[in-house]
Parts: sequence; structure tokens; C-alpha cells
Amino acid sequence: MTQTDRTPVLSLRDVHKSFGPVEVLHGVDLDLHAGEVLALIGENGAGKSTAMKCLAGYQAPTSGEVRVDGTPVRFSSLHDGELAGIVLIHQEFNLAEQLTVEQNVFLGRELRRGPLLDRAEMRRRTADYLARVKCDVDPGARVASLSNSQKQMVEIAKALGRDARVLVMDEPTAVLTRREADILFEQVDALRAEGTAVLFTSHKLGEVKQIADRVAVMRDGEVVRTGDAARMSEDEMATAMVGRDVSDLYPAKPGLAADAPILLRVEGLDVPGQAHGIDLQLRAGEILGLAGLVGSGRTEAMEGLCGLRPARARRIEIGGEEVRIRKPADALDKGLVYLTEDRKLKGLLLGKGMRENLTLASLARYGTFIDRDAEDVALTEAIREFDIRAGRRDALVGNLSGGNQQKLLLAKVMQSGPRILIVDEPTRGIDIGTKQQIYAYLRRLAAEGYGIVLVSSEMQEIIGLSDRVLVMRQGRIAGEVTGEAIGEDAIVRHAMGVAARVEAA
Amino acid sequence: MTSTTEGAPTRGWKLPPMGVLGPILALIALIVLGAAMNPSFLAYANITNVLARSAFIGIIAVGMTFVITAGGLDLSVGSMAAFIAGLMILVMNAALPTLGVGVPIILLGMAVALVAGLLAGLLNGFLITTLGIEAFIVTLGTMGIYRSLVTWLADGGTLSLDFGLRTFYRPVYFDGILGVSWPIIVFALVVIAGEVLMGRMRFGRHCAATGSNEQVAHYSNVDVNRTRLATYAMLGVLVGVATIMYVPRLGSASASTGVLWELEAIAAVIIGGTVLKGGFGRVWGTVIGVLILSLIDNILNLTDLVSPYLNGAIQGVIIILAVILQRESRAKD
Amino acid sequence: MSYLRTFLAGATALTVATGAFAQDTTVIGVSIPAATHGWAGGMNYHAQEAIDRLEEVYPELDFVLSTASDPGAQVNDIEDMVATRNISALVVLPFESEPLTAPVQSVADSGVWVTVVDRGLSQEGIEDLYVAGDNPGFGRVSGEYMAEMMPDGGNIVVLRGIPTAIDNERVEGFQEAIEGSGIEIIGMEHGNWNRDDSFNVMQDFLSRHDQIDAVWASDDDMAVGVLAAIEASGRDDIQFVLGGAGMKEMVQRVMDGDTMIPADVTYPPSMIATAIEMTAVGLTSSAPVSGTFTIGSVLITPENAEQYYFPDSPF
Repeated sequence: MTQTDRTPVLSLRDVHKSFGPVEVLHGVDLDLHAGEVLALIGENGAGKSTAMKCLAGYQAPTSGEVRVDGTPVRFSSLHDGELAGIVLIHQEFNLAEQLTVEQNVFLGRELRRGPLLDRAEMRRRTADYLARVKCDVDPGARVASLSNSQKQMVEIAKALGRDARVLVMDEPTAVLTRREADILFEQVDALRAEGTAVLFTSHKLGEVKQIADRVAVMRDGEVVRTGDAARMSEDEMATAMVGRDVSDLYPAKPGLAADAPILLRVEGLDVPGQAHGIDLQLRAGEILGLAGLVGSGRTEAMEGLCGLRPARARRIEIGGEEVRIRKPADALDKGLVYLTEDRKLKGLLLGKGMRENLTLASLARYGTFIDRDAEDVALTEAIREFDIRAGRRDALVGNLSGGNQQKLLLAKVMQSGPRILIVDEPTRGIDIGTKQQIYAYLRRLAAEGYGIVLVSSEMQEIIGLSDRVLVMRQGRIAGEVTGEAIGEDAIVRHAMGVAARVEAA
Repeated sequence: MTSTTEGAPTRGWKLPPMGVLGPILALIALIVLGAAMNPSFLAYANITNVLARSAFIGIIAVGMTFVITAGGLDLSVGSMAAFIAGLMILVMNAALPTLGVGVPIILLGMAVALVAGLLAGLLNGFLITTLGIEAFIVTLGTMGIYRSLVTWLADGGTLSLDFGLRTFYRPVYFDGILGVSWPIIVFALVVIAGEVLMGRMRFGRHCAATGSNEQVAHYSNVDVNRTRLATYAMLGVLVGVATIMYVPRLGSASASTGVLWELEAIAAVIIGGTVLKGGFGRVWGTVIGVLILSLIDNILNLTDLVSPYLNGAIQGVIIILAVILQRESRAKD
Repeated sequence: MSYLRTFLAGATALTVATGAFAQDTTVIGVSIPAATHGWAGGMNYHAQEAIDRLEEVYPELDFVLSTASDPGAQVNDIEDMVATRNISALVVLPFESEPLTAPVQSVADSGVWVTVVDRGLSQEGIEDLYVAGDNPGFGRVSGEYMAEMMPDGGNIVVLRGIPTAIDNERVEGFQEAIEGSGIEIIGMEHGNWNRDDSFNVMQDFLSRHDQIDAVWASDDDMAVGVLAAIEASGRDDIQFVLGGAGMKEMVQRVMDGDTMIPADVTYPPSMIATAIEMTAVGLTSSAPVSGTFTIGSVLITPENAEQYYFPDSPF
């Protein structure tokens, strides 16, 4: 990739952006060249999203220039950006849920024959775009019925339909499985070969190395480092992002005492259609990883265990005592809590403040007549303990960054005073600094005698944190990996169903 | 507690002053206007009249606030009130030969109203939560059912309480303690209880959580269906309470009783600042909304400002204005 | 699909068959508004009562009664009667004049006898028989009575019905009748022929005016609300309340010599019975019944009240 002597397709020059009195971008320079993939990385709050929005014409810079092909431009609307061939794909999808895939792809630029819609042609082209992203979705399907990853693919198909010169993607792989991410990257490769400039953000440094040509690292509203992806190690990237050494991302595993009591024992848990015959036990002080591909029934099994969806079990013991869990309140009573993987749709009320969210699941503790002073004390406590950084104490939760939302969610589930914690994707879509804090917190809980089940799709997280790993495959426990044996290879074999064959061979 | 969050303007959530003040200012403006137009507006008798007649819709609207906050809707309350009133009158007339005129028969009538209201509310709630049918459709259906049931009970005419009974029962609407009539006292009690329930108790929080995001509520140990069911049942009981106050006033019920009460109640709730799609509700705002609606009528009757043909238009304009006042302030902040 | 078709074919065959069997009976369709307020309730009662009575007297007649809650539904009812019941005559009390005119005209054009009751259609000459209430007369009789009762004049308030042509005709008739009598209308608002609305309006009239000599409630349902408001206020300046329509409770009070309700003015819901009966006579005999037949409004006083008292009617 030789881009030195060419004019960038799109660039930012000394861009400042303020919201009210607060400046969030302090003079950002960024170049994007045709046929190049640029990864923009940084912690939450570093200014990545704002920089991208300035690039795509969503927001106008307070000062500085946006240049297209070297010429300064002022986008007065998003539409101008699209006319210039710049397409931005949001992290929260920009799709009309009740319309079909085809209607979404052509939304706002419907093809017509005379006064009537040319539905046949639109359908044909949509099918074509979908085929290019290897997305097996009927163009007539309603978007609401699609999975997150399918929606992501539809967004990209939509961008293809707009003949984008510049494609800007905000964390495109956050909701994708590994396989789907690979398909996305193939597509990015193809676009790059056609000369499209691609900019994306990601928290997964592995994929940044895999797909990006160049990396720009942002911290505190400035670009602190740019360079060729090939010449930057993941450690270097992380260090540049955080501004300090993060090689100790995962806390040390102290090892489990042999006589640690069993906190949770599950025998024969069935969640109809999702998980079958799940057996597991969890000791005090243990972090048990629950790995497996997306769709292997991990989340469903844990939700079933906690009474969040219909399930049956032969026997469940908590602290040596048999319990029955029919509804979430039963689990809570026994000190078993579940931290959902979907903090925005299932975890937090985005339109409410932090206080209401913090205490919602454990209101009974605050008396028949809710003691607001006690709630405030609890919030102060949570903000301190979990290092929640909100501009204001009464900020709407929807306005917090992902990392701070996740910390609040964690504080919320801890409110009910659990002994056993099931955390599902506890660090999805949050920055590396916050990840480190959450890992340390979970390890500290374990050290204090809590039992923790960690459900995660991030292999490194499972490996780095778990004392023991159960791997699920097609709704069943496919295998167990302990101690030194915990590694990507062993886990993947179980997850893919090849372990037995390998062992037999 | 330092930096702002990424990309987000430093908007945060300030208490929207106009969102809170809007309805109150509108109410004060109406009161000033009324007082300027006619000196008898502020007379004790007129104030009592307006408050007492607001009580029916007001009591119902308090219940409606909970239903709407929890993300529901109930279109059947007006018909339900007519039906309960008719039922109450029939039962009391039928019991007259055995019980005679006295306190027991009044208590019987009240019990009938409360139980009928509870059952009607539970029926709505059951159909909506357990069978999962849209609240709009369910209550549109029961609205028609109760309306025709009362027409049928009255044989197309009017059900009238026995004259002697009515004379005995009458003080429940017209008398009171220390010059405050019963409907006003009951209305005030319902409002206070509602405000505490909404703002200070678990149930209110659970309603708001259910209305703003059912999934989050479910994952937060809130029994979503039970919360919803409870809001409808509570509204039904309050319709019963309102009917207990209504029957002694005219001692009759017919197919035209309670027509459009549901829309007035819903309008009052929304004017008061409760969000129609659920998730946020305030009982005191609903009270303001009810008073605004009653005062408009009262002022128009007390003055010759506009042609009576335009009364509806004036009401409509004020309702929309009251809501715009709140909206604009929210957008600005 | 094919099941449905078979079923439909069968059903059609059946209809044709019954139609053939029923050829020797004559069908009269009666379409009226639903019983949504007192007067309409009375009208429904009288219609049903007339039909029951006439079916016994004339075995060769068959009646279809339908009640509609809005003009659109009434049009549908009439279309259904023509299409499925093969009616020979239609007795219709139009919900509103305008929307019903064209549909009724097409029924008349197909050769069906049409009797219109109470409200006229907006085009003349469609109907064979028009049994009309006398709205200006209703207002006039009321006004004349007021003038007679208050020879020295006085202040009155007026409660009007739902804003319609009927209401306007009544109020105009009333105003003409009191002209020059010294009676002054100091307040006039719509009580919508509704007890609760009229209660509120009357309360506000009482707040606003210190001296009210009499009330023209213009309707007996509204008179109920007015009386309750006066009673609650404890005021004794109001000498009497004049309602209208002939509700049985009010007729009874007139009979009993109640000073607050000294009289009532008829606008009899039984006019529908008259219309049905005249139509039946027209179909079964050669008596001439076409033309316009106006049912005048009559003053009910303690002397003649008994003959207007129907204890079994709901109104």
C-alpha cells in the first residue's frame, strides 16, 4: 500500500469539536486513502465516534476542515455526505425494523418505473448485494425478524447499493460471530481491491491486525499514534490507547483451594429447544468459563437456570440445599444473579437515571416506602466502587458510554447481595481500560468467596480469566478443560465437536 | 466523576423546568382568566362544583395514569362506569324490599360497584397480559360490550334509583365534612395514595420500568404480567369508586352515562405529563390535567367569550397547547 | 377454497328457496337509530311494541327491525334489507338527513314503499309517506307556555340539545314565541340532551346568575340534571323548569301537581309506531295513506297528563 504521494479521498485537518463548553476533539488530523483499510482505535470516550461523525457529515466540526479529494467541503446534511459517496454504518443499526430487507436497502432512493415502484429490479439487486456479502437472507424478510449479524450484513448490502467510495463502520464486528466477522472481512477485502476506502473502529485488536492496513490510535480527543498495522503489535496498540502498560490485562489466577465448598450444583437442566442435560458445579472462589459458539445455547441455559425463561432441572442445589427456581425472584432469593449480555435491551432502562436503574431489581431492600436517601447513598457507593464516570449524577443512562453502562449494570446486579454471579459477555463493546477493571473486580469477588460463571465469546477472555472451562455445543456440554490445559486449541476442538475424534486418533 | 462521555453532547438530564411547570402555569393562567371574567368564578360554590364534578374523571384518571405508565391503555372505562352504575342501581332497587332504606343497602351498592369494577379490570388485564392481545383492541371490545350491556339492562331507557333510596344516598355526593364535599375528599385521598404509590413505592417503579422496557423489567426481577394486570385491576376498582360518587348525584344511569370519559381521562393524563407510550408517569400532573379540562368547560359556561359551538375547539386547542409547552421545553434542554 | 365455494352455493340455494316459500308474505323493513338516549330508547320501545302488535293483526306481514349507532351503519342496514329480505316497504327514521337521502332514494326508485319519520330527507318527494314531528311547533308551544306563566316577564336560562337542525328549529320557534313577552334569555348553552352535561351547565348558570326565574330545559333528560343542580344549590329563586318530549317520570310529576314541573311538551317517540301502523295499513288495504302527516307538539298539564302516561315504556 503506497499512499504517500496520493491525495487522500477523505481527510480531517485540525478538526476541533465542542459540545457546549466541552471540547471533545482537540485538533484531529486523519487521512483516508482509496483502496486502504484504516482502523481507528481508542478507549470509549477517546473521541472515535465524534471523529467518524465529522468525517461522514453527521456532525459539522466546530473548527478545522473536512476535505474530499483534497478540497474542503461543508456537509450541510447527511445526504450531502452520501452524495459524496461516504456511507456511515452505525453501531446501533439504522434500519427500519418493520420494513423488509429490500425496502431498507433502497430506502430513500427507491427505483421506479414510471410512477410505480420497480419491485422486481429492487429485489433482484438486493439479492445480488446480499449474495456478495454471503448473507443468506430473503430480500422480502422483515428486518425485525433478523439476527444482529444479519442486520449488520444488510447494512453493508445497503452500503454496496450506494456505491460507496468511503465506507465508515462503527464497531462492525461487535455483534458478529467469528465466522460472520470473517465473511465481513472478505467483503472488506473485496471493497479494498475495488478501490474503496474503509474506516472502522474496533475493540478487538486481533482483527485490527488481521484486516487493517493502517492504524490510528486516539486518546482524549487526539490522534496519538498512526502507523502501519503490520508494524504495530497488539501490546503496542493497547499501550498507546490506554497511555500505560496493559500487558497485565488479566489478573493472576491464585488457584483454587481443594476444600472449597460447592456453591452451585446443577443436574439435568433442560431449556426446551435450546439446551439439554446441562450438569455443572461451581465452587466458592471459582471462575467457571462457559464457552462455545454463538448459538450453542450458553445464554439460554443460564437464563433458564435463573428462571428468566421456561426450564426444567432434575436437581439444583445452592449451598448444598435443594432449591426450585421458577421465576427470577426465586433465583435472587437464593443469591443467584444473572448479568445479561444485552445491556441496552435487557439490562438497563436507557431513558431513566442511574439511581432508578441501580435499585430496580432489589427495590424490596429500600422499604415499603422507597427510601430515596438510601438509594442515593447506594449510588454514591456504586459510583465510587465501580468507578462509574458520568458527567452528572442525574445523567440519563442512555447517555453514558458503553463501559460506564456496563459498570452500572454490574453494580445493579451486585445490589441484591448475591453469592453466585453469572456474567454473560461482561465486556462486550467496551474499551480495554474498563475491561481490565471488570476483570480485576471479578477476580476480587472470587477471592472473597463468590462463585462466578463467565459466559463469553471472546476466547482470550475465557482463557485469561477462567479457572475451569465448560464448552457447549449444540445445546449440550461438549467438554471440560481445566488448569494448564485451558487454551484456544482445546476449547475450539470441543466447540467444533472434533475433540473426541482427535483424542480417539 | 470527570470527563464527559464520548460523542455525547453535554446535555445530560436536567430537570426540564417547563416540563414540570407547563401544566401548572396553564392551570394558573386559566384560573386568572376565569377570575377576571367573572367574580363568581372564585366563589366557594363554584369551586366546590368544579372540584366535585372533576372527581369522577379525576379518580378514573389516577388509575389511568398507572395503566399508561406501564405501557397500556384502557378505552373501556366510560362504558364500564355506565355499566357499573346501572348494575348498582338494579341491585339496590332489587334489595330494597328486603333491606329497606338504610346504611346496609348503600354499603351493598358500594360493594357491588367495587367488586364489579375489580372483575371488569381483571378481565381487561387478563385478556391483555395472559392472552397477549393488544390493549387497544381488548378495551375497544369491552367498551362496546359494557355500553350495550347497560343499554340492555335499561331496556334502551334510563335506570333510576328508587326515589326514597336516592334521597337517602344523595348526601354522598352533595354533603361532606367541614364544607368539603365527599367526592372532593375521596378524590384527594385517591390522589395522595396514587402519588405515594407511584413515587414512593415499588409498584410505581415497576410500572415505569415495565412501560419503558418490558425486557429490562423482566431481567430486573419485575413480574411484568402481574404488574400490568394489577394496573388494570386497580383502574377497575377506581372506576367503581367513581361510580359510587356518581350514582347519588342524579340517581340514574343510561346508555349516555360516561360517554367519552375514557378520552377525557386519557387526555388529562397526557396533559399532566405522563408519556403516552409508557415509562414515565406522574399522578399530580394528572390532577392538574383533570382540573384544566373541567375549568375550560366551567369558564366557557360562565362567560360569553365564544359561541358555544366552538367549545370543543377551545378545549382541543388548550389540550394541544399544554402538551406542546412540555415538549418544547424538553427539546431545548 | 372449494369448500367455501360449495358452502356459499348451498347458502345461496337455501336463501332462494326460503324466498320462494315466503312469497305470500309481505316484508316491511324498519330502520331506526339505536337507543343511545332517553327519547331514542322510548322510540325503540314503541317500534318494537307496534311490530309485535301488527304482526298479530296482519299475519301476512313480516317485519325486520334494525337499529344503527351511526349514519353509515344505518345505510348498511337498509342495503342489507333490500338485498337479503326483499322488503316491500321501508320505514326509516334517518340518523341524519344528508347521508341517508341518496340511499333511501335508490330504495324508493326500486319500487319499495318508503315512509320517513321525524327527520325529513334533504330532498323532497322521495318518500311516499312522511310522518313528521313538529320541531318549530315544539319550541313555539314551550315559548307560549313560558310567556303565559310569566306575564310580567323575567330572566330565564336555556339548555339546548346537540347542535343540529332539530335543535335550531326548536330554539327559533321558542324565541319567536317569547318575543315581546318581557322574558329575557340570560344564558344559553348546550346540554347535549344529556343529564350529566345539563347538570354541569346548570351549576355554572347558578354560579353566574344571582336571579333566575325559570329554566327552559327543552328536554326531559336535561330537566333531570337541571333539577338536581337546583336542588343541590338550595336556591329558591327558580319558579319552574320546563322540559320536553314526555318522559314518563316527568309526566307523572305533572300529574302529581309538582310546582317545579308544572307542565311538559310532547314530542312523542310513539310517532314511529304511528308511521309503522300507517305503512301497514297502506300495504294491506286501499286506504290512502300517502302524503305528510305531522304530529303536533301538545302541552301536557295536570288536567290531561293521564292520557300521555305510559308506565310500561322505558321513557
